[in-house]
Amino acid sequence: MDQNNSLPPYAQGLASPQGAMTPGIPIFSPMMPYGTGLTPQPIQNTSSLSILEEQQRQQQQQQQQQQHQLFHSQTLTTAPLPGATPLYPSPLTPMTPITPATPASESSGIVPQLQNIVSTVNLGCKLDLKTIALRARNAEYNPKRFAAVIMRIREPRTTALIFSSGKMVCTGAKSEEQSRLAARKYARVVQKLGFPAKFLDFKIQNMVGSCDVKFPIRLEGLVLTHQQFSSYEPELFPGLIYRMIKPRIVLLIFVSGKVVLTGAKVRAEIYEAFENIYPILKGFRKTT
Amino acid sequence: MPGGGRCPDCGSTELVEDSHYSQSQLVCSDCGCVVTEGVLTTTFSDEGNLREVTYSRSTGENEQVSRSEQRGLRRVRDLCRVLQLPPTFEDTAVAYYQKAYRHSGIRAARLQKKEVLVGCCVLITCRQRNWPLTMGTICTLLYADLDVFSGTYMQLVKLLGLDVPSLCLAELVKTYCSSFKLFQASPSVPAKYVEDKEKMLSRTLQLVELADETWLVTGRHPLPVITAAAFLAWQSLQPSYRLSCSLARFCKSANVDLPHPASSRLQELLAVLLRMAKQLAWLQVLKLDKRSVVKHIGDLLQHRHTLVRAAFQDGMGKRPRICPTPTVSTVTGDENISDSEIEQYLRTPQEIRDFQRAQAAGQAATSVPNPP
Repeated sequence: MDQNNSLPPYAQGLASPQGAMTPGIPIFSPMMPYGTGLTPQPIQNTSSLSILEEQQRQQQQQQQQQQHQLFHSQTLTTAPLPGATPLYPSPLTPMTPITPATPASESSGIVPQLQNIVSTVNLGCKLDLKTIALRARNAEYNPKRFAAVIMRIREPRTTALIFSSGKMVCTGAKSEEQSRLAARKYARVVQKLGFPAKFLDFKIQNMVGSCDVKFPIRLEGLVLTHQQFSSYEPELFPGLIYRMIKPRIVLLIFVSGKVVLTGAKVRAEIYEAFENIYPILKGFRKTT
Repeated sequence: MPGGGRCPDCGSTELVEDSHYSQSQLVCSDCGCVVTEGVLTTTFSDEGNLREVTYSRSTGENEQVSRSEQRGLRRVRDLCRVLQLPPTFEDTAVAYYQKAYRHSGIRAARLQKKEVLVGCCVLITCRQRNWPLTMGTICTLLYADLDVFSGTYMQLVKLLGLDVPSLCLAELVKTYCSSFKLFQASPSVPAKYVEDKEKMLSRTLQLVELADETWLVTGRHPLPVITAAAFLAWQSLQPSYRLSCSLARFCKSANVDLPHPASSRLQELLAVLLRMAKQLAWLQVLKLDKRSVVKHIGDLLQHRHTLVRAAFQDGMGKRPRICPTPTVSTVTGDENISDSEIEQYLRTPQEIRDFQRAQAAGQAATSVPNPP
């Protein structure tokens, strides 16, 4: 019923992760009624209706917990180790959020590298894609396949999709500044082709970063303790998909220790997301 | 009703104004004859209220189970019966299907998706009860694409907010190995290949646990690992006769499909066993290779806990990685863009003429149906 310390029956046959953190119930959640939720409950019933009821109860619990995801991942680093878990959560803290104690020495020392930036800009005028495809060397246009011109420049190495409405998508840059420079170059090309192109509303839409924590990760353990954020289906995809709430980033975590972070609008979100996940991943590092 | 009206049938003056739904009628209260019928509508706005409403906007959807949903529920029950699931599973799967159907995104989905949804509901039910059903099995039964299945499955889990446990590896090993046709002699299974089910099961389970401990299972599809483990278990129980049998031949005799990654998993498992063998003094001198180590799998499994710890003390022997120093870019985004740089991307007038000529020639060639 609860995600709790005792290993659920279905994890038999798999090695239990050493040093697994207490599962993700915020200990200091003011919404948690006094004295409930941390005592393990056996799953004995097998009737279909009660399983559905359990699901509903789990969902209600999850909804309660999700309201307190602000400090969820950081709370884990300060949570007590298994075996020392208090049976009753401390009732004294009201609505004040807990500032987690993350000393500077716990910082990972690893900086995610940006791999791809997607940005959009409005050139502010209608474009004739046929003319662009005819008069530009670096353009391809196949209206039957896709209704935009695909243009590429060498420096910065990027690709742009230019639509007849005048809107443009620029992908492939490795930094925000490079993306802006590339978008300006595409706008200049379009200008030289005879269109009154402007450079309006440049916006970074998505940033993708990647890094390596340099140790293997027990994905089965991570999905057990963080199941409300994780999705791990080895039959479909080898990585674990972790949807962090704050910041709103999706992480792809692989058994080799490589992590891909995506969905950011600013660089700081990627760094923050990695600093949040690193202590969690360290908990699932297995030294055989 | 007073006023001089008479019923044409019985002559009574007792006429009552009555509304049949929204239509006003003059009815004789004695014989029930309808004397006059009012107009169906009186004003344009009234008519507007009586205009036909599409089914999706009416309340009809909530009042009855649509044919599409009925079909889906029937398919869920059929699938549960085909898979020979316990009867309680059927009710849970049906409940999930009904729950999913409440959402408009599912109700308006294509039939292909609704078909796959049947499989998703059954899969979730089985996962929650530790019944080892793989997605591959369901896709085969439903003739569905794994991509379509995966998309619908992830959507359903998110929509219903479900907590679906992972596939239970131990149960999958038992079910999968029991399906191997090696426990009785037959035309395709020579006498020396027949094996005792319990012995093979327990050894396969131990090998799968070993694979899990040594990082061969995480992130990978479980079935190829189990196939490789079953093959090694079977070989090691009578190596003298069975070492000559290949993995492909083994699967053919057992009447089981050989999953493609199984050969790689087999090599990885053998590498792990060799590493463990190096820790045992009496095996070190034998200088084992991937074939001869099979004969000693029994011993290795007996002492596997100590051997794994000893063999993998220093981690998994990863290659030292050369970390490329990240190149620091000094681009500001506001640099001046030179004309010459942009001009390299523009065609010269001569190029444009050549290109247009080539295009025209190409079109002329394609428009001529039969070249002379």
